[in-house]
Amino acid sequence: MVILESGYAFWNPIIWVIALATVMILALYFRSRGQKNYKKGTAQTKIFLCGEDVPEPELGHIKASNVYWGFLETLKDYYYAILKPQTGIINDLALWFVLLLAIGAIVILATGAGAVAK
Amino acid sequence: MPIAGMINSKLRNTIAIAGLLFTEFLVVVLARDIYLNGLHMYTLGASSPEITTPAKFIFPVRIILEVDSMNIFMALISSTIALIAAIYSMASMKKETGQDKFYFLTLLLVSGMLGMEMTGDIFNMFVFLEIASISGGALVAFRTRYADSPEGGLKYIVVSAIAGLMVLFAIGLLYSQYDLLNIAALANAIQYTTLDKIALALLAMAFLMKLGSVPMHMWLPDAYSVAPTAITVILLANSQASMYALFRTCFSLFGLTMNVNTLGWMLIILGVLSMFIGVTMAVLQRDIKRLIAYNCICESGFMLLGVGVGLAVLDNPTALATYGFQAMTGGIFHMVNHALFEGLLFLAAGVIFHRIGTRNLNEMGGLGHGLKFTAVLFLLGAFASSGLPPLNGFASKILIYESVYHFNPVLAIIAVIVSIITLAIFVKVFFSAFTGQMLPKFKEIKEAPKPMMISMTILSGIIILFGLFPGIVVDWLAHPAVNALINQASYINAIIGGR
Amino acid sequence: MTASALYNIPFIAVAIIESIALFIIISQRSLIKVVMGLGLLASGANLFIVALGYRSGGVAPIYTNLPQQAVVLPVPQALTLTSIVIAVATLALMLSMIIHIYRNTGSTDAEKSRLMKG
Repeated sequence: MVILESGYAFWNPIIWVIALATVMILALYFRSRGQKNYKKGTAQTKIFLCGEDVPEPELGHIKASNVYWGFLETLKDYYYAILKPQTGIINDLALWFVLLLAIGAIVILATGAGAVAK
Repeated sequence: MPIAGMINSKLRNTIAIAGLLFTEFLVVVLARDIYLNGLHMYTLGASSPEITTPAKFIFPVRIILEVDSMNIFMALISSTIALIAAIYSMASMKKETGQDKFYFLTLLLVSGMLGMEMTGDIFNMFVFLEIASISGGALVAFRTRYADSPEGGLKYIVVSAIAGLMVLFAIGLLYSQYDLLNIAALANAIQYTTLDKIALALLAMAFLMKLGSVPMHMWLPDAYSVAPTAITVILLANSQASMYALFRTCFSLFGLTMNVNTLGWMLIILGVLSMFIGVTMAVLQRDIKRLIAYNCICESGFMLLGVGVGLAVLDNPTALATYGFQAMTGGIFHMVNHALFEGLLFLAAGVIFHRIGTRNLNEMGGLGHGLKFTAVLFLLGAFASSGLPPLNGFASKILIYESVYHFNPVLAIIAVIVSIITLAIFVKVFFSAFTGQMLPKFKEIKEAPKPMMISMTILSGIIILFGLFPGIVVDWLAHPAVNALINQASYINAIIGGR
Repeated sequence: MTASALYNIPFIAVAIIESIALFIIISQRSLIKVVMGLGLLASGANLFIVALGYRSGGVAPIYTNLPQQAVVLPVPQALTLTSIVIAVATLALMLSMIIHIYRNTGSTDAEKSRLMKG
């Protein structure tokens, strides 16, 4: 019931969870041997930005459109090519359906019969 | 339902949830019965439920409802998702007007979905498809005070109407040749003439448009983002019912009489295109529910890829036994996983919309301080969606990766890259919505209301359960379903009885 | 015309109606014309289903007091009745949504009234 086994894959989640638990216990042990004598509330626990001022919460939060800027910049041509057909107009939706129906019908009509001919 | 609503609103909510609970109970009992005893069928109007061919006739004449392992698998998904969505909607629709109509239409949508999945008659499937799409379209456009809801609803209805009419045309083509409407009887009598090929193309393309595969996917982000959140989750199960109808026509109606290589490769190519375009478009989005809807398109691509590989090797018995069967198991296991984690993601996004009132990711930030529980569950859904161990997404995806690799290595590599980008888009959402410093305008965000938390907890519990014990789903649900699809002969025999 | 072309006129008409309907859905920008195109598509499919049930020399398939001769097939007429009812409901719902779109955005043009792109 636990083991998932196909001809090529073997996956036992319980062993994975046991391994994860072991690693977590080790990590917690290492963390507990850290420094305990620090003063809360002073400059030792504030955010540190190489000596600059921490920006206001509203200005410092990166907006969602600007995350992954590098990824979007490099794939700009691909994105322009994909965004052009997706206009959101209903007529274009029907056009894609008719195009794909034509291609599908031609492909299915061109290939022959199947394995079992009655 | 409106009568109960006139008496008391709590009575109406209780009737809706009690009805869905009773449906779920019946489906579970039927599932256990089918696992032990095999296919069941019920002939409407006959003197005993199993007489499909009455005494003086030579072909089946009545509408039959038949349930075998594949049908009950889809019905389990649909009824569970509907129950969870109804519990969720108790809290999220509290301030809306017209709640009588909402619950009435929801029950109609669920009954249309279950009817489409449990029938053995192709015209019956068309009728229930149209019932589900009309009520679904009315529900998508439910919030008419926003400007974009009717637009999403119109797109959903136009797409469903075109798909339904093409299915009707194909039914007419098949009926004109064989004078039969019963799926098993048609499968017994079908020869692959030219008109049958046109009917196959029409059916396949219509169902592919309804389930949202690229390049006919443009309605899906619009419709899923403007619908009320409980309805988005049920529409997900509706798209999977269309996928079930596609598999039923490919495997049980046409089976080996068609050229399985052609249709299998078409499904594989469309699946890979859906995966890639779906997930790369999701990186661009600003609206949280549109992003999750593009992820839905990507996961539909995974299912199409898995079952397409199984279809392409259907005429090759050694390949089918070694990796085709496992690929189909992965695809069908991914169906239940998809319903669960996409449902959880949509419900978590709905909590945000309920508390803030906007879906725009640019205006969110630091919500994790107030919505702690929702953030953890969203992260759980995100990890399940991208296939991280030990959750259930990994179990189904590793079946797909391993089997597809032996079919064609390029497809498996594309699938793995797409999974990585899936994790990337959820990191984007989690970063911009939940983490960060608490913004002053969100200072008094409370946690989600109780019914929403109950429904999300149930979903996450099932996700973790299926992740730690994947054998439950694979041995009891997915393997019998795949066997029911592949063995067309046993399906025909059980219904027509040895002709 | 030859006899087979005469018998095939309904099906040729169905093909023409369906092509015109799909052309209207693809090319007309006004949303009400798209709904009209869908109504034509429904009419074409229903005509196809009724026309394929014709048997030459047959009478209407009413089973009480039936004269002893061939009848036209009754099943397609049942299918068509169901389908016409469904088409009526769908068209009414689409038109009500167009009214809401017009109230919200002020135009019924498919391109000018869309708010969601990409």
